[in-house]
Order: sequence, then structure tokens, then C-alpha cells
Amino acid sequence: MMKHISKFRFGTVCAGLALALAGGISLAQQSAEPAKAAVVEPAPAGGPLVMRRLTESQYRATIADVFAPDVPIAGRFERGLREEGLIAVGTSHGGMSAFSIEQYDTSARGIAADVTSEKRRAQFVPCQPKSATVFDKACATAFIDKYGPQLFRRPLARDEQARFVEVARLAQQRLGGFYQGLEYTLIGMLDSPHFLLRIERAERDPQHAGQQRLDAWSKATRLSYFLTNSAPDTELLRAAGQGELDTDQGMARQVDRLIASPRVEGAVRSFFWDMLYFDGFSDLFKDPTIYPAYTVAAARDAQEQTLKTIVAHLVTDRGDYRELFTTRTSYLTRPLGIIYRVPVAERNGWEKVEFPVDSQRSGILTDLSTLALHSHPGRSSPTLRGKSVREVFMCAKVPDPPANVNFTALDAVSKPNSTARTRLAEHNENPVCAGCHKLTDPIGFTLESFDGAGIFRAKENGVDLDLSGSLDGVKFTGAPGLGKALHDNPSVPMCLTNKLYRSAVGRDVATTEEPFLEYLTASFAQNGFRVIDLMRTIALSKTFYSVTMPESKPVGPAGQTASAAPKGDHS
Amino acid sequence: MSLSAKYGKKRIAAGFALLGSVGLAIGGLSVDRSAQAAAPAPASSPAPGSPAPGSPAAPAAPLLQTNPFHSGESGFVVTEIRYALGPDGKEACPAGMSGGMRSLMEAYAKSPAGQRLPDEADRAYQGRMQRALNNTPDGKNICMNPQLGAEDPTWRMVSGRNIKVEGIDLDGVDPRTGKRQQADTCTHEEFQGTAGERGVDNQLFRMIGCTTGFQASGMGNGWQTEMYTGSWGIVMSVRGVDNTQNDPDVQVGIYANADPLQLSADRRALPFATYAVDQDAHYRAETHGRIVNGVLTIDPIDVRFHNFVNSMNEDRVLRAARLRLTFTADGGMEGYLAGYTPVEDMYDVQFGARKSRDAKGQLAPERLRIGTSVGRAGALGYTCNGAYRALLQAADGHRDPATGRCTSISTQYRIRLAPAFVVKVPTKSLNAPLAVR
Amino acid sequence: MTFLSRRTMLRGAVNGAAVGMALPFLDIFLDVNGEALAATGTRLPVRFGTWIWGCGFIPERWIPTTEGADYVMPVDLEPMAAYRKQMTILSGYDVKLDGVANKPHVTGNLGLRTGIPVPGETVKAPTIDVLIGDQIGQGSRFRSIELSSSGIERSYSYRGAGSINPSETSPIALYQRIFGEGFQDPNAASFTPDPKTMVRQSVLSAVTEDRQRLLKGLGTADRQRMDQYFTSVRQLEQQLALQLEAPAKVENFTVPTAPGKTVVDSEIEHVMANHKIMAGLLAQALACNQTKVFNMLFSDTASNLRRSASSDTHHTLTHEEPLNAKLGYQEQVAWFAAKSMVACREFVDALAAVKEGPGTLLDNTLLFAHSDCSIAKSHAVEGIPMMVIGGAGGKVRTGFHKAGRADAATRVGLSLQQAMGVQVEKWGTGAMDTNRTITELVA
Repeated sequence: MMKHISKFRFGTVCAGLALALAGGISLAQQSAEPAKAAVVEPAPAGGPLVMRRLTESQYRATIADVFAPDVPIAGRFERGLREEGLIAVGTSHGGMSAFSIEQYDTSARGIAADVTSEKRRAQFVPCQPKSATVFDKACATAFIDKYGPQLFRRPLARDEQARFVEVARLAQQRLGGFYQGLEYTLIGMLDSPHFLLRIERAERDPQHAGQQRLDAWSKATRLSYFLTNSAPDTELLRAAGQGELDTDQGMARQVDRLIASPRVEGAVRSFFWDMLYFDGFSDLFKDPTIYPAYTVAAARDAQEQTLKTIVAHLVTDRGDYRELFTTRTSYLTRPLGIIYRVPVAERNGWEKVEFPVDSQRSGILTDLSTLALHSHPGRSSPTLRGKSVREVFMCAKVPDPPANVNFTALDAVSKPNSTARTRLAEHNENPVCAGCHKLTDPIGFTLESFDGAGIFRAKENGVDLDLSGSLDGVKFTGAPGLGKALHDNPSVPMCLTNKLYRSAVGRDVATTEEPFLEYLTASFAQNGFRVIDLMRTIALSKTFYSVTMPESKPVGPAGQTASAAPKGDHS
Repeated sequence: MSLSAKYGKKRIAAGFALLGSVGLAIGGLSVDRSAQAAAPAPASSPAPGSPAPGSPAAPAAPLLQTNPFHSGESGFVVTEIRYALGPDGKEACPAGMSGGMRSLMEAYAKSPAGQRLPDEADRAYQGRMQRALNNTPDGKNICMNPQLGAEDPTWRMVSGRNIKVEGIDLDGVDPRTGKRQQADTCTHEEFQGTAGERGVDNQLFRMIGCTTGFQASGMGNGWQTEMYTGSWGIVMSVRGVDNTQNDPDVQVGIYANADPLQLSADRRALPFATYAVDQDAHYRAETHGRIVNGVLTIDPIDVRFHNFVNSMNEDRVLRAARLRLTFTADGGMEGYLAGYTPVEDMYDVQFGARKSRDAKGQLAPERLRIGTSVGRAGALGYTCNGAYRALLQAADGHRDPATGRCTSISTQYRIRLAPAFVVKVPTKSLNAPLAVR
Repeated sequence: MTFLSRRTMLRGAVNGAAVGMALPFLDIFLDVNGEALAATGTRLPVRFGTWIWGCGFIPERWIPTTEGADYVMPVDLEPMAAYRKQMTILSGYDVKLDGVANKPHVTGNLGLRTGIPVPGETVKAPTIDVLIGDQIGQGSRFRSIELSSSGIERSYSYRGAGSINPSETSPIALYQRIFGEGFQDPNAASFTPDPKTMVRQSVLSAVTEDRQRLLKGLGTADRQRMDQYFTSVRQLEQQLALQLEAPAKVENFTVPTAPGKTVVDSEIEHVMANHKIMAGLLAQALACNQTKVFNMLFSDTASNLRRSASSDTHHTLTHEEPLNAKLGYQEQVAWFAAKSMVACREFVDALAAVKEGPGTLLDNTLLFAHSDCSIAKSHAVEGIPMMVIGGAGGKVRTGFHKAGRADAATRVGLSLQQAMGVQVEKWGTGAMDTNRTITELVA
């Protein structure tokens, strides 16, 4: 049992390791009927401090929450760095290019101009200057005190506050207006590394001599971005300032408040957007002659269809995560209706639909988004689809093919009377290839009733499709069979737990945290595989906030220490 | 074509195999939710014969995604429409082509009044020419007032003998009733159909067939373009089909499409899109029909569609409209939509834009209507006065008992339709603002 | 000591060290900052203009058969071959009507230029030249210059519905407006730096103030990442510093002489002649910073061009000329379409003829050439031909063909605005709404 549990880091799986995964079936059977005994969090092992860059969606959500959703963000965002399957992990590793700074500055100027504009200053500026000409230091300070802590996710130090007041004074002096002063000081805050980067800090743990813990502001920030994908709100900052996050009761109050808020949907969305590789849509291209129905509109709506399904099932209905692979409920727009060949009466929005029993549709596995994303521009790919199922939902890593493989047999797509299965037979018989193809293709074959743009087909090249396949020794047919196999596979909830935690902490799982992940997985099963409950469990855990000091760090001001996730080992 | 092959094979495979037992294999589904308070999700009911809920999916091809057309209902969207015509040039027009504006212009340029004055600027001269040719002596625009124009001596009607012309018989004897299908007609020479059949009534072709713009490669059928930009469209529904080869009673709906035609990146109409029918009852028509040996025909019914040109719109009207359609391999239909267009409506929609409306439904600015009408006359090679007189002369339907003259002209459209989902639902946005923004 | 002067000293020292080590002079002052320097060491502004020709094109004679840099120059673009590397061909971008009634030759053109198709001239947003002009047009004598070479006093530069910037149609009138009364020799112009730029410098100084303390608190890996942040900020500071330098003296500039009297009408050879004179005058006006924005209407969108002794115009031919069955297109229409590209070459020649810094005026100009429709006979607004020509001071990439594959044409407008520094995240409405930059285009 411990053997596969230790696979929380889900190393490369090919022929040899498939056995280990297959062994997981027994866990699934246990997980399906969880033990009644309460599962208990192991003693916190702690992980490193990280410095994480805000993702695009976090930047947008933060600006929307601190100011207003309609404040324009004019700059462009670099594509997020993806590490070990998650952009969330990449945020603690990537650097910042000159392009990014230029674009952040562009965004900052647009935001600041809007916030201090004549038509909006009454909404955003907490006071009015006493004089039209003389700098009103008190009012400028009030503005900085209002937004500084929300943007920096902590109170400003006195010298920081003074510096931003000085920028406002100087800008007014040069440009003549009080609000121009505020505009430029706000640009400064938005260009600051304290805003753009979530710099975690540790402090001495008063309860455990010689140990460190996250300071209250870092706790609030981890918690808030995890549960809402946005900055701590004023109530959370207040609780942090009053030490409430250091008590179990105070923390629980905040966690439950955030879990109950509609903002939790944003967190679920951004997590699954990341987990499902939806950034890949920015360079996904389908041949318009082969797939005329794959229009720009359909591609746009495809992502939202899946996210909508996920949010409705996991957040609104508090459903079982595993049913995402089996549900026939989905949401369509008119452009998607053309792909799914289902009428969509609603002209300007989304319509909830129930796919027929015999539609071969099976949850998000057969959504256009996942089918198209893991296909070629002009054909489907059982290999890419199988690989994505293994990597996205089971946390396995399937290696890239060797560089010298001869693909000619496979490329003869239009070979009469051929199907992907017959073309791939070569790979599954060639020992160089078979090790990995046997892990991917038996999954992918079962999705072959959908072409590279997710449209149903009964045949390929005039030949009836053989939809039989297998996963870790379980045999089944078609997408619904695969959906049920995934539903029942213990790696699936285990992987979700792993990814959700890694996303929450922005780094890989430390070896010492594996018992914690075991605990989370058991807790997930006990709570009916409800993701929101799992998020709550993580947010309430001690481990989530505990830190270790892997190397001696210079101590920063006020006895604080900041640290970095170790780079290089993210396997 | 790859598209039709792609969809077609499936359609045949899933559909015709089920003939008679499950339902119709052609077209999309039509859904009428207008009468239902709480609308269920469409297409949620499984087809008869599909596996029982909960049973594992059979490896055999499932029915619904290749065959969403259960319950004998199907929907279609018109993807191609043009006037049904006959042969070009000398065959149809042994007396030559109509001279149109161009010959008027050339004649005028040779006349003393048409000479360019010594100091006359280029634009001034062009303007003077235009005014002289397009207006009556007292300054009324002829396209807006075609009855005031002189006879056009250069107008030519189709006069070719034994030519084969597209279309169907509109006034023949109905074998089922023994009565003439359209009794109140005027005497006219009928054409031979493209398959050699007798009695094709296509007086619109007789009238315009010798005009350059209505030759096979002419611009006279350019009005379909606006359908592809989403300004207007036509959808149909066929219900109650038990057998796609022979069914004595089916219900057919013919409607203006309230939604823009859905297109692929290379601007071909996509099958299986959902379209709502026009909210305005004037643009909806429903009638009985029958399928005989795979050919769908209907009892005559008045229909009305939208037409757009130059940001203006008018109605395209067809009285006593009939269909003669066959099912195609790609799940669609093709054939004729034909009937009688009141001559005044035909003049307004195709020649002089006398009554065209702007985006708000008001009579469009006269300047725009005149410009469009004059420009169209020049581009298509006719004169407005000539066209108007020719329409009256060729009119063969709806004889006015008082005057004894016919008031409508037999008009035949060649159409193709793709499978679609036709829904009759109140939608959040109104039709009109969608079409004209 | 004031806050600013203290910071300025600090920054000076930092910059001297870091910059001197990392980057050669040219990298900093040409590439990194995206603005070229004249030989005198002063900055050269970037200009933006549009060039419209009417009635579209013959696709098979204009669209390269392959994408990327190695395309074979299509026959109708042969005149532009000399500028191959300074030109990006954009095919297959649509004005998405989405049910909006198409007013022929108007809806597509204004839809392309405003991002919002309307069934007439009642635009719902400013045209792209106005949006960009608001960004880059300050500091020059004219906010923009509009020209029309086919005798029609018309322009497609709109600040709003009914607020149109009218075109000059006569070369003489154009000359008098620019180089007549009120014209000042650019070499005598004085310079006042933009105080906002100085404030922005002080903002960045404040942001980087606690650099040392920030770095000190971090682990090795994060310290490197933080250091990169500061390096990137420093490059932004460099850009601001350049903007505070005095404007360019115009090398080799002499006030042009007045053109002679020409015939202004729509006959093609007259149009070509007037167009060439106007292009030359405009280039000189751009060189001496009279304007940074221009719009040239070579032929009206419903092209009024005609050949001598013919009563057909380019526009009417598109509707009346039969298809040449052998060629597969309308032969005379094709002649006008090809001629339009000759005119485009002559316009670009005029820009390239003005020496500026190490290159030419063309290197510092972003010229957006487009038509109003693709296939004129059907007034199709899908796949309207477009070209981006010129170096734009390094703000755009050129030298390739990109197929839009029926993407919204607003992607081009959005990208051009972003290249020109307009703070815009998304552009267009409805089906034309986009936030997707054409990344290949924007440097």
C-alpha cells in the first residue's frame, strides 16, 4: 500500500511503472467505501517559502476586487510558465522580462488614469483635497493607506508610505493637479514588486521555539489566492492584523466565510483552466477545410463550456469530482450546438443540455475543449488523448517519443480502410514504442468516436470504429467506458488532491508532505469527493501554512525571513 | 465536395437504414417551444430503439448524434437560392438582348443634347447625362415612377422556341382533384422543363431572360450575398414524416429565418446549426404536404421573406407557393420553391426600390432608393420603365376579374437546403434588431 | 536634497555600470527603446498613416499561396517587391457583419477602421487613425493630414459620427496648407520636455527605492528573479530618459517648392500624377514633424477611377464586366486592382526617399494599406486585403504573409494600436470584439 501512496509525486510511468498504478485499484475499492474512522492531519512537515508572480487571472481579479471590474487593463500578459503540469507552480519560478514590465506599466497607467479620472474619483478617492494648489498630504496619505495594503496585501511600512506620498507630492508639483499626484503614486504601487509578486515572509513561531511560521499577511495571501484567486479582502486583512489567523477559531471563521462566498468560483475556474491546459487554446489551430464547424466562436465557447460544467457540478451542486468523467449534463451555445449536433434555442447565451444516453458523451472527457486540444490540426490522436488523460487526470508523466522514430506508417492517415487503431498497430508492436503507447493508446482508442474537432463519427475512412480499450487492466468500450474507469480509478482523486495542493502552495510537493497528501486523499474520499470540501480541508490544515527553513537565510527587517522554493527538482 | 461527402455518408447510414421504423433521416430537428411554459432541453429525448438508460453503451454506432431527427421531424436552412432560369443568349433571345441603360446612354451621347459643352466639367457632364436619362421631362425619377416612363423599344422578352427552362408546372391539372392547381391565370406560353416535361410556368424568366444581368453568369442573382452576411434567410420544417419515400400527409413550415446563417471559416453554410423562425407571423407559413417517390410537394401557401440590398429591406413575396424538393445525400434537400409574385412587389424587390425601408422600418431616404434603383438598372442591363412594362405584360397569375388582367407573375426559385435545427421559441432578442442594426 | 535628485544620482550610477556592461550602444538606443536616433543624436518620431484603395482585389492575383517570409510574390503585388522585407501582407481577415446590413463599400471599410460595423456612415467609434493619433499625434503641428487623390473630397477618418476630417484633393492646396503661412523651419524649433515623462521617472525611482533591502531578504533563486525585475524596470527608465531629449533636427531638409497646376479628376493617369505629388509633399511634412498621422484615399471605396475615353469606372466594372471564363476573373477590374498596387508602391517610394537617421522615413512609419471589400462584385467584406508597410521605428515586424483564416479584422486594428502604444486591451464589438493581438506583427 505504501508503495503506490509514495507515488504522490507521480513519476514517469511507462511499461514498468504501469504495474504500480494498476496496484492502485485496490485503493480505489477502499476509497469508494471510506473507513468511518476520522482521518487526522499528520504533524505539519512544512515547506519552503515562495515568491510567486500573480497570474493574469489573479492580476485581473485583484484589480477588479480592489477597484472595480470595469477598470480597464490595457497591457498584455506573457503566457504563463507551465511547470510540472501547472502554471501555478511556474509562478514561483519564472522571471520578469522587459516586455512584462512595459506591459505592466501600460496596465498601471491605464488603471491609475481611470481610478483618478474626473468621473470616477468620487468613487475611489476617500477624501477631497483641501486646496486646489497646495499639496494635501493628509488626503494623499489616506488614499495610499486605503489602497496600499490591499495591493501589497499587508500594511505599508512607514518609509514606504512616505515614499508614495512623496511621489504624489512631486507629481502634483510638476503636473499641477492633486489627482495627478494620486494617479502617479498609484502607478508606482502597481509597478511595484510588492504588488506583482507575492513575496512570502516567515516569522518566529511563538508557540514552538526555534521554529518558523508564515506571518499573518502571508497566510492571508496564500489563503485568499487559493480560495478566491484574488487578493485578501479588507475583512481578511483585518483578521490578519488582529492576529485572528493564528488561532484555529479565527482561521476557521475566515475559511468558512471565503468558502461560502461566490468568489470561490473564480478559484475553481482558474485551477481547472490551469490543470486542463487551456492556455493551449491560444495557439490551437484546426484545418478549416477538414473541420469547418470548428469556428473561432466554437473554440472560444469550448473552454467556457467545460469550465461552466465544472463550476456547476463542483461548486453549485457540490457534486462528486469523479462524476465529471461520467456526467451527460453540459452547457452549450449556438456555435457549440453545431459541433455537438444539438439544437440550442438560446440565441445569445448558454443552454443547459443533457446529452442522450447513447451519445457516447461522457463528461469533460468528451468536451470539445479536451478532444480538440489533444488532437492534431487535421485528425484525432488516440496517443495525445491518452497521454493527456494520464498526465492531466492521473498525474503520470508519459515521455516524448524518441527522436528517431519513423512515423511514415502512422502518417498515412488517408490510407483507405484504415483507422487510427490499425495505423497505430505498428507502434504497439514495435518494442521501442510499445512501452509508452500501451499506456496511452488503449485510452485514446475509446475516444475515437470523436474526430479532431470533437464531432461524433461512427466510422473513420469508411470503417466501423473499434472503441474497445483499457486502463490499468480494466477493459471497457467507448468514452462512457473510459469515463467509468476513470471514475473508479484511485489515481484520479489522488491526482486531483496533488494538483490542488501544488496549485495552492505554488510549488512541488515535498517528500515530507506525502503523509499529508495521503491524509487529504482519504479526507477527499470521506467527503464524497467534493472539491470544495477538499479545498476547505487544505485551507484549515496546519501544513498549508507551515514553513521550513531549508537553508540559512539572511533575516530581513523586523526579524522576517523570506525564502524561495528550491529550483531544479520538480519531478 | 468533401463537406457533403463527410456529412452525407453518415446521414445515409444512420437514416435510411432506419426508414419507417425510427423516423426521418434527413434534415435537422425542429422544436416548437412557443406553446410550452417550462421548456425542456431540446433533443433530450432519446430515439426509439436506443439503449435503455443505464445500460452500457453498445459499441455499435449510436443513433442520436448521427440522427438527431427522431420523431419524424426535421429542420432545414436554405443555403442557396436563385431565380430558376433558362438558357443564355441567342437560344433564348434570337432577337438579341435588351439594350438597357447602356444603349440609352450611347444613343443620347450621339444626340445633339448629349454633347459635352465646351466648358463643362467631367462631373457636371456626367450628372447632366444621368438626369436626362433617369428622369421624366418634369424631373420625376423614372425608377420611382416607372409608369411615367416611355416604352423601352430595346426591351426583349424571351422568344426562343423549344428551350428548356428550370421550374415546375404551377397551373396544371392536379391528378388528385382533377382541378387546375391555379385557376385564375392568364394565357401564356409555357416552357418545357429541363427534363423535357411540359407546362413549366416561369414568366419571370420570360421577362428577364434577355437581360444581361440575368444570364447564367450575371449579377441578377447577387441578392443571395446578403443571406450570407446574415441579413435574411429562410428555414423550413418538415413534421409528421413516417416514411421518407412515400408519405401522404406531412406538415411543412416555411419561415423567414430570424438568425444569421452560420458559416465556416471559408464561408460555407454549416449544417446542424440552430435557427429561430421569425417572430412575425407574416413571415411564417405552414401547410400540408406529401412525399411521393421521394419527392416532397405541398399544398399552395402564401409565403413572405425578407430581402436586403444596400442597407435597405423589402419583402420578397410569393403567393400560392409550392415546393418540389428531393432529399440529398448530405441530409438536405434541393429543388424548387415557386409561386406567383405580385408584379408590384416584384418590381419593388428586384427593380425599382420604391418602398424599401431603412434599418428602423421607415421608408428609406429617396436619394438612397433612387441611387440603388438607377445603379441596379445600369449594372443589370435594363431600364426601370422597360422592366415595369415587361412585368405587366408577362403577368400570368391572380387575374383581376374587374380588369381581366393578371396581377402576379410566375416566379421560380432554385434552392438548396442544409439540415438545421429550427426552433420556434421566443428568444431574448427581437428579430428585427438582429437583422438590421 | 530632494527625493528626485537623490534618486537621479543613484540611478545614474547604477545605469552607468549595468548598461555599459550588458548592451552595446545601438541595442539600447535603437532596438530596446524602439526609437531611432538621427545622426545628431536626437530621437525620431514614429508616424502612422492609412492608405485606402477601393474595390478590393482579385484574390488569386494578390494573396500569396503560402504564409511566412518565403512566399512567392503574387502578380498584383509585384510592384511592391522592392519593399518585400518592409511589408506584411494580411489576407483573410473579415469584417464580421453578424447580421448588420452591409452598405456596400462603406460598412466594411468603416467596420475595419472602427471595429464596429454599421449599416451606413454613422460610426459608433473613432477610426483607428484617430485613436492612434491621440496617442502619438501630440507635439506636431497638425494632428493628422487627410488626402484624396481621385478628386473626391472624402475621407474615412472619423472622430465620431458626423465628425469627419476632410481630405485635401488638390496638390496646390495641400502645399499651401503645410508649407504656406505658419510654417516654421524645423531646425529652429525649440523643445520642451513632457513633464509627465519626468514624473514617470520619479515613479520608477520610488518603485526601485528599496531594491537592496528586497534582495537581501530573499533566497538565491528568488534574488535572481527579483534582480531581473529591476533590470527590466531599468530598461523602461531608459526609454523615458530618451523621451526627455530634444527633438530631431531634420537633416537635408529644405522647404519643397510649390507644385504646378494639375488636372484634378478621376481619370486614372491624372490620379496617379496627383497622388505622387501629394505623397512627396506629405513625406516632407512628416519629415519635419508637421504631422505624425495621415490618411491617403487613393481611390474612393466605390472606386471612381476610370480610364480615358471610357464611361466605365472601376466600380461599375466590378458589377458589369462579365467574368473572363478563361482567366476566372474580371479582366478590366483586375487591371484597376493591379494599378492600385502600382500607386501604393509610388506612395511608399515617397516615404523611402526621405533620408532619416541611419535609414529612411519609411523605417519610422507604420503604413496601414487596406481596401473596403475583398471581391467588389459581391461587396464581400470577408477577407479584405490589408498590408502593413514600413518599420514603425521597430514597433512592428514585417516581411511575411499572414493568413487571417476568417478571424476578425479587428485583430489587425488592435495590433496596430498596441504597436503604436495605445493602451487598448480589446477592440471591436459583437463578432468583431477581440483581445487577440497578432503577435507576429507586433514587435
